[in-house]
Amino acid sequence: MTSSFIHPSLFLIAGALLLPFIRGPLRKPYLFLAPMLALGAVVLNAAHSGVFGVVNFLDWQLVLGRVDKLSTVFALIMGLMAVIGTLYGLHIDRAGEHMAAWFYAAGSLGAIYSGDYLSLFLFWEMMAFGSVFLIWFRRGPQSLRVGYRYLLIHTIGGIILLAGILLRYQAVGNITFDLMDVAHPELYTWLIMIGFGLNAAMVPLHSWLPEAYSEASFNGAVFLCAFTTKTAVYTLARACAGMDVLVVLGVIMALYGVIYAVMENDVRKLLAWSIVSQVGYMVAGIGIGTDMAINGAVAHAVVHILYKSLLFMGTGSVLYMTGKTKFTELGGLYAKMPATFFFTMIGCLSISAAPCFAAYASKSMIITAGFEQHLNWASWLLMFGATGTFMYNGLKLPYFLFFGKNNCSPETWTKAGDPSWNMLIAMTLGATLCILVGTAPGFLYAMLPYAVDYTPHTTYHLMETLQLLGFAALAFVLLKKYVEPVDRICLDLDWLYRKAGCGFLWLIKHPLQWCDTAWGEAYRVVGLSSLMTLSRFWSWFDWHAIDGVVDGIARSVRGLGDKVRVLQSGQIQITLYYAFSLTAVLLVAFIFFQLL
Amino acid sequence: MDLLLIKEGFPLLSFLIFLPLAGAVVLLFFHGEGFARLWALLITSLTAVCSIPLLTGFDPTSAKYQFAEAYSWIPRFHINYIVGMDGISILLVLLTTFIMPFCVLASWKYIQKRVTPFMFCLLIMETSMVGVFVALDFVLFYIFWEFMLIPMYLLIAIWGGPRKVYASIKFFLYTLAGSVLLLVAIIALYLKSGSFFIPEMMWQPYSLTFQVLVFLAFFLAFAIKVPMFPFHTWLPAAHVEAPTAGSVILASVLLKMGTYGLLRFCLPITPDATMLLAQPILWLSIAGIIYGGFTALAQQDMKKLIAYSSVGHMGFVTLGIFVLNTRGVEGAILQMINHGVTTGALFLCVGMIYERTHSRELAMATGVGKYMPWFVTFLAFFSLSSFGFPGTNSFIGEFLVLAGAFEHNTILALAAIPGAVLAAAYMLRMLQKIVWGGTNNPDQSYLTDLGVREIVVLAPFLLFVFWIGLGPQPFVDLIHGSVSHLLEQFNNWQQHQQVAVALWR
Repeated sequence: MTSSFIHPSLFLIAGALLLPFIRGPLRKPYLFLAPMLALGAVVLNAAHSGVFGVVNFLDWQLVLGRVDKLSTVFALIMGLMAVIGTLYGLHIDRAGEHMAAWFYAAGSLGAIYSGDYLSLFLFWEMMAFGSVFLIWFRRGPQSLRVGYRYLLIHTIGGIILLAGILLRYQAVGNITFDLMDVAHPELYTWLIMIGFGLNAAMVPLHSWLPEAYSEASFNGAVFLCAFTTKTAVYTLARACAGMDVLVVLGVIMALYGVIYAVMENDVRKLLAWSIVSQVGYMVAGIGIGTDMAINGAVAHAVVHILYKSLLFMGTGSVLYMTGKTKFTELGGLYAKMPATFFFTMIGCLSISAAPCFAAYASKSMIITAGFEQHLNWASWLLMFGATGTFMYNGLKLPYFLFFGKNNCSPETWTKAGDPSWNMLIAMTLGATLCILVGTAPGFLYAMLPYAVDYTPHTTYHLMETLQLLGFAALAFVLLKKYVEPVDRICLDLDWLYRKAGCGFLWLIKHPLQWCDTAWGEAYRVVGLSSLMTLSRFWSWFDWHAIDGVVDGIARSVRGLGDKVRVLQSGQIQITLYYAFSLTAVLLVAFIFFQLL
Repeated sequence: MDLLLIKEGFPLLSFLIFLPLAGAVVLLFFHGEGFARLWALLITSLTAVCSIPLLTGFDPTSAKYQFAEAYSWIPRFHINYIVGMDGISILLVLLTTFIMPFCVLASWKYIQKRVTPFMFCLLIMETSMVGVFVALDFVLFYIFWEFMLIPMYLLIAIWGGPRKVYASIKFFLYTLAGSVLLLVAIIALYLKSGSFFIPEMMWQPYSLTFQVLVFLAFFLAFAIKVPMFPFHTWLPAAHVEAPTAGSVILASVLLKMGTYGLLRFCLPITPDATMLLAQPILWLSIAGIIYGGFTALAQQDMKKLIAYSSVGHMGFVTLGIFVLNTRGVEGAILQMINHGVTTGALFLCVGMIYERTHSRELAMATGVGKYMPWFVTFLAFFSLSSFGFPGTNSFIGEFLVLAGAFEHNTILALAAIPGAVLAAAYMLRMLQKIVWGGTNNPDQSYLTDLGVREIVVLAPFLLFVFWIGLGPQPFVDLIHGSVSHLLEQFNNWQQHQQVAVALWR
C-alpha cells in the first residue's frame, strides 16, 4: 500500500476489535475518535485520485483503494454518517452494538473503495453480517426472527452476486469492478445487477427493508438507513449505469414505496418505505445514465443519507424515550418533545424537496435528466411520486406523530421528552447539513462525478415545487380521514416467500428428517452393534484363543512339572532306582542304534 | 573401528548409563522414603540434563556412531565395552532420559509402601534402557537387554495390581523365552564373524539359510517385545497390573527396544532374510493394527484399552520399518518417539484418575469432565494425538508410515486405514465416557482437579505433542542421515546381490 492512501475501514475494524478493552471514562472519547479517524482518512484520500492498495492474492490482483470522484463522494458521506451515527448512540454501554455498527460501516467503506469484485464481495458480506446485529440488538419479541430473515435474504443476494461475479470472471477473464457492457447484457450482468439491486431494495426484492429497519434498535436504524442501500446505489452507478431496465424498476420502486408508506402505521416502517421510494429515484437516475442523471443520483444519495438519518434519529428518539413506534400509540408529542419535533420537521421538509432544504437540490436533477432524455413518462411518474412523498413524509408523519389525536397512554406521555445531549447534537449536525446542502449546494455539486451545469435555484423550479407542495397539502387536508393510520398489517410480496420458507421448513422437518432418522437408526442398530460385537469377539479371542495357547503352555509345563515332581522323594532308593533305570534305557537305546 | 566417532574427553554415554546405577547404589545405604524420592528425582533429572549435550554435539550429516567409547572388556572372547550413538538411537536415548524424571514425579504419591526399593528399581531400569540403545557390542547389548527384566518384574510383582503375580511372571517368562533364542543367534554370529562388535556383523555375505535362522531368532525376541500380533498377550496383563511409572516405562521405552532391535539388527545383519520375510511381517503388522483396534474397542478397563492401542501403534511402527523406504523408516522412528510421548502421557493420566477413584473401570470414571477440567483438557489432547489427529505428533508419524506403505504397496496401505479409523473410534469413545458420560454418571463431585505437580508432569508431554506435530523438521533432520545411510547400504546390498546372481549364471 502506498503511503498516500489510508483505508478508513482499518480504523473502524481496529477500533471495533479494541473497543471491548476500553472501559470507563475512556469509552466515550474513544467512540468519538475512531469514526473521526476514519472520516479523516477519507478526507485525506480525497486529495488523491487513482488506484491504490493493490494486493496480490492467489491468481488475482485485489484493488482495495480505487479513488475517484464517485467513490470519494460516497466515502465522504459514509464516513460522516459513521461519526454522526456513533455520536447518536454514544451513551450505549454495550460494546457489541458499536462493534457491529463499525464493522458495518467498515464494510461499506471497503465496498466503496474496492476496485475489484473479490474485495467488493468480501466487504459486501461484512456489511450484511455487521448489520444483522443492529437488528438483533433491539431485543424485541420479533427481533430474532426479523434478523434471521434479513440475514437469509442478504446471503441469498450475496450468492447471486457471487454467481454473477464468477460467471463474469469466466467470460471476461478479470475481476475489475467497472462499468459493465449494459447495452448487451449477459446472464452475469443480470445476476450482478440483481445482487446489487437486492441491497438497494429493488422491487420485488425489497420486502426485507421495511421489516428490518423498523425492527432495528433505535440507533441501529440510523446506520442501517444509510449504508446498505447507498452502497448498493454506488455499486449500481459504478457497474450498471445506463441500464434501461433500471429506469423502469426505479420508477416502480418510487411509486410502490409511496403507496405502502401512505398506508403504514409504524413510524419507522413508514420511513423505511420512504427509503424504497427515494432509492427508486436514484436507481432511475442510474438507469437514465446521462451525466446529469448520474450526478443527480449521487447527489440524491448524499442528501438522502443526510435527511433520512435525521428522520430516523428523530423517530429513534421517540422510540428511545417512549418505547413506542406506532402512530396509533403516539400523537400530540410536540408539547413534550419540541427539539425532536423541530429536527424531525427539518428532515421531513428535506425529503419533500421543499425549497432550501436538502432534496431540493437533487431530486429535480434526476427528473430534469429524465425529461432531457425524453423519458417523459418516467419523469412525470417520479414527480407524482414526489407529491406523494410530501404527503406521507412531509405531512402525515409530523401531523400524526407530533400533532393530531393524542393516542398516548399515560405512561407513554410521562416518558416522552427530549433525549440526551449526544442525540440532540447529532440531530443538530444532521439538520444543519440538510439546510446547508439545500441552500448552497455548490460544495456538493463540486464533489459530483461529472461536471454540473445545473442549478436548482431557478424561479421555475421554485414555482413548480411550491405548486407541488401546495396541492399535496390540499389533498392531505381533504383526505385526512382516509390517510389516518390504522393498526394493521399490510401484506407485501414477502408473503410469497415467507410461505415458501414455511413450505421448505415442512419439507425438512418431515420427509427429510425421517430419512435422516432412519439412516441414523440403521447406523446405530446395524453398524455400531456389529462393530462392537466384532470387537468383543476379538477380545474374547485374545483371552481364550491366544492366551489359551500361551497360558496353556505355561499350565502344561507346570502340570508336567507337577507330575515329574513325584519322582522327587526324600528316599534315596527311589531316586537311585529312577537314575539307574534311565541310564539303562539310554544305554540300551545307544547300543541298539549303534548296531543298526 | 572407522565406523566409530570416538568421543574425546568426558565419556558422556558411559556417564549417562552408569549415573543412575551409581544413584541406585547410594539408595542401598540411605533408606529414608523422602530422601529416596528426592534423590531419584535428582539423579533422573541430572541424567536428563546431561543428555542434552548429546543433542547439541550431534552431527546429523555423519553416518558414524558418535560419542563412541571403546574399551577392552573380555579380550579372550572378543567381548568389548563399545558404545555409540547414531541418528536412529539419539531420539530414543533422549526419550528415555527425559521420561524418567516424570515417572519419578508421577510415583510421588502413588507409591506409599517400600518407596526406596521402588526408586532403586527405576534407577536400575534407566541404566539398562539407556545401555540397550547405545550398546554396539552384542554381549553388552544382551546384558543390558536382560538386565531390565528383573527390575520390571519387581515393579509389577511388588507394587502392582490385584493380578500382579500372574502378570509379572507372564511378562518375565514370555520376554525371556524370546531372548534365549536371541542369545543363540548372537553366539552363532560370533562364530561366523569372530567378534561381538555389531557393525562388523552387518552386511556380511552369510548364506540364506543362516540368515533366515538368525532373522527368525531375532524376530521372535523382538516381536515379543514390540509386541507384534500374535505375541502380544503379555502386554495387556503387564500394563494393567503395573503401577503408573511401570506402565509409562513399559509403554514408552521398553516397547521401543523391540522395534529398535528390528531396525538396528534384523535389516543390516540379515538383509536377504529381511527381504524374503518382509511381506508376511508386513501383513502381520496390519493384523496387529486392526486387531489392536478391535480389541481396544471392546475394553472396559482404561489401562487395557491403552495397552491394546499400543499394539496397534506398534503395528504402524513395524509396518514402517519393513516397507524399507525412507519415508517408512523415518515415520517408524518418529512414531516410536510419538508413541512414547503420547502413550506415556495417557498412562500418566489414567494413573491420576486411578489415584482418585481407585478403579480402572471406565464406568467408575464416567463424567469427570465437570469436576476436573484441567485433567480432561490434557486427556483430550493426548487422545487426539493417540489416533493421529492432524496437528499432533502421531499424525506426522502415521502419515510418513502410510506414505512409505503406499510407495511399497497400495493394498497394504489401504489395509492399514481401517486401523486408523478404529483408533479414532475407541479413543473417542473413551474420551466421551470419561469427559461427559451419559445420563446416569456416578457422583464424581468428590474428585479434585490436577495439582501443580501433576500439571508439571503432563505439560512437557503436551509440549512435545504439539512441537513434533507442528514442526517435525528438526526431529526428522536428526534421524535422516542415519536412515538414508542405512537404506543406501541396503540398496547397495540388493544391487550387489543382483550382480552376484547375474555372475553366477
